[in-house]
Amino acid sequence: MNNELLKINYEKHKLANGLEVILYQDKSLPIVAVNIWYRVGSANESKGKTGFAHLFEHMMFQGSQNIPKGEHFRLIQEAGGSLNGSTSFDRTNYYETVPSNYLELALWLESDRMGFLLPALTEEKLNNQKDVVMNERRQRYENQPYGLAWEILLSNLFTSNHPYSWPTIGWMEDIKNFQLDDVINFFKTYYSPNNATLVIGGSFDFDNAIKLVEKYFGEIPSSNSIPAVYAPEEKLDNSKKVIHEDNVQLPRIYFAWHSDKIFGYYDASLDILSDILTSTKNSRLTKSLVYDKQIAQDVSSFQYSGKYAGMFLIISTAKPEISLDEIKKEIFEQIDLLIKNGISDEELIRSKNSIKSHYIYSLQKLDVIADHINHYNFYLNEPDSFMFDLNRYEKVTKEDVIDAAKKFLQNPYVELHIVPKKELIK
Amino acid sequence: MIDRTKVPLPSENISFEIPKINYFTSSKGHEIFYTRKEKLPIVSFSIVLFSGSKFDNENQKGLALLTSFMIDEGAGKYDAFQLSNEFEKLGTIFSITVNHDTFSFSILSLKENFERSLELLSIILAEPHFEEKDFQREKKKLLNKIKQLKDEPSYIASTAFDKQIFQDCYYSYPSIGYEQTVNNITLDDVKNFYVKYIKNSKKKFIAAGCLSEDEISNLIDKYFTPNEILIQEVELKLPEKSLTKYFIVHKENSAQGEIRIGHLDGLRKSPDYFANKLMNSILGGEFFSRINLNLRERKGFTYGAHSSFNYYQNAGYFEISTAVNIENVGESISEILFELNNIKQSITKEEINLAKSFLIKHFPSNFESYTQLAQSIALLLIHNLPLNYYNEYINNIESVTEEEIINAAKKNIHLDELTILVVGDKNKILPQLKTMTNELIELDIYGNLTDKLKL
Repeated sequence: MNNELLKINYEKHKLANGLEVILYQDKSLPIVAVNIWYRVGSANESKGKTGFAHLFEHMMFQGSQNIPKGEHFRLIQEAGGSLNGSTSFDRTNYYETVPSNYLELALWLESDRMGFLLPALTEEKLNNQKDVVMNERRQRYENQPYGLAWEILLSNLFTSNHPYSWPTIGWMEDIKNFQLDDVINFFKTYYSPNNATLVIGGSFDFDNAIKLVEKYFGEIPSSNSIPAVYAPEEKLDNSKKVIHEDNVQLPRIYFAWHSDKIFGYYDASLDILSDILTSTKNSRLTKSLVYDKQIAQDVSSFQYSGKYAGMFLIISTAKPEISLDEIKKEIFEQIDLLIKNGISDEELIRSKNSIKSHYIYSLQKLDVIADHINHYNFYLNEPDSFMFDLNRYEKVTKEDVIDAAKKFLQNPYVELHIVPKKELIK
Repeated sequence: MIDRTKVPLPSENISFEIPKINYFTSSKGHEIFYTRKEKLPIVSFSIVLFSGSKFDNENQKGLALLTSFMIDEGAGKYDAFQLSNEFEKLGTIFSITVNHDTFSFSILSLKENFERSLELLSIILAEPHFEEKDFQREKKKLLNKIKQLKDEPSYIASTAFDKQIFQDCYYSYPSIGYEQTVNNITLDDVKNFYVKYIKNSKKKFIAAGCLSEDEISNLIDKYFTPNEILIQEVELKLPEKSLTKYFIVHKENSAQGEIRIGHLDGLRKSPDYFANKLMNSILGGEFFSRINLNLRERKGFTYGAHSSFNYYQNAGYFEISTAVNIENVGESISEILFELNNIKQSITKEEINLAKSFLIKHFPSNFESYTQLAQSIALLLIHNLPLNYYNEYINNIESVTEEEIINAAKKNIHLDELTILVVGDKNKILPQLKTMTNELIELDIYGNLTDKLKL
């Protein structure tokens, strides 16, 4: 494979107000992707006031001083663009992809809500979007089978003061109690040029692009110092078991361990470990639970890592009449076997090839590349880390994978059972 | 200070070339649809067969899908694990998809691994093992999937809605089948389905990627033998029109009501297609459409609401879907009915310009990825659209008149023929519907009638 493929040419600038700007040119299609990361996520919230970062994913589309409510959507739609935003523990992103001749429109919209959101923020808009977010919570979590698993795991794996202990959408009670003053203060604290990075990717002219950025973002004042997140290292002293009843037909078991942070020494090894356990028909847990023993309907695992902590999860749905304890026993036997006997060259190569190919496939869309650039800039302070990222997987040895399993999967864990309601009544 | 009150205008005009789709027949006689894209060393490839679940036997719904689960469980000299391992080593994504109309095999691979991926696919198509032990396992997996769907409100709503609008024809049942019908399927049924509808039936090839026409043609000829047998179509008996009715599927203590509202409509090739597309973009196709602005941005009843004209190969339907807070089900339905009525009364020039502008300017981004290209080609095949369809698309949208859009609303939205269906807690929903209807038909989760409730 040609390594040049993963080398990106970019320019990085910093405006006087602290806004980082990264320009990545690709003229193969007449489109531009504008992608802003604000260095604020649910980890910047506090207990009792969760869900603010995600709420802003809604409020930022409700108009600003020069853009009436709804206009942001209408203008991007009129331009033939697409837009969205997302929230994680560590950051929120806002992005649009538009035909390249609409770059200025996108920058005008993004800058107006960065610099001039508050004059247009009203109680009425807040109440409307509180309702929308509560409905989002109902639709995506509460009314979904197994939908509450993630937040149950987080709140048990982390102590209640740890910023990863609540879900990004927030607790329902907290959403209900959002106050306009708190919302305003949250915005003032975090949504400033010195807490954001703007990536422009696609078909544009470098000089013109930086001129436009300066024109629209240059006058936005920077904010005072941004409060640091307090996130102590955590570990479980003993394993915990939680049983939750839900409207489900088949019981499902979840295990969550504390693991390595993003780009930490074992982060890539844990991704590969997850592949070896569950990514394909030949992976260990899938083969044993789903194919050979046929006790599970499905099994999956993943390494979820952020700036302040990481966790490794294994999830499996039992077949009818099979107890979760039987599944548990087999999962731990397989982990023990892997630690004791190691993994094969073939298993390692299979995982590396799959990671490499999926990496190339992910480069098909400009908005994905722009987001990758922001991701690398945020976590590594180097936008051009595509090759570096792929190389950290290439470098993983069989021993690294075993070490990662030993280091994390032999520790105490959270075990969650989600079981059908009627089963408990029996 | 700059003047921020003025919306920046677009800079220079841009031009975009719609990818050219070539159709040719290889030396051996394979029909190939192809577009070249050089940017990355990737090939997206599909084989499309017109043998979807509409060919499921009457008491064996789910047969096509179960056949798709079985066909890659071992083939040629490879058992199920070895076969999967061969793809995994290449990092190729191999998938089989089944819907009512088609049975498709797809590959997304790096160019360097494309030939080997294609070879593996040819082995799967020609020499599947179909072993009893794999069959028992895959069948159980399918039965459990069906079981799990009993708790998915959105799936239940869509399935019950399809059942009501399509009644007894082959589009009325889900491709996944029902517990009872999947139980009826034997390994021999799967083998028969394969022989009759897959092995010997005509295949169409789609390729988008970084390969020349000759390369792709030669590779297909190297690994496949043409089949000329055309499948005999099954007859489609669409139901008669019926008057507006209200339906409920009871889900105790549901946090939301899943709402579906709609009726049958014309085919994809209908001359009204472009007018409907524009009208729907104003009504409910996008975030900025009337229904979503009303239910989400004004009322806060929902996370989102959407309307669409949907097209199977031989039938089409119009559907509005949303999930709303359980307390607001009645009012949400009234608001949707208001919007349906309202769009028949008035559409503004601004709305039409916005809808046209969006569809035209957004169009190039449908051809960004290799997979999008292959899917765009597949759509032409399924609906028998001309090869220059995408090249004409923008003209076709531009030339729809204001009058045609208004007529599309008047002619193609039928307020007196609606199926109005809710999945949710009936104790909470019933009182909310009293002012709208005096009869509510209760359905089971598959959409079959169980009771009639007087309000």
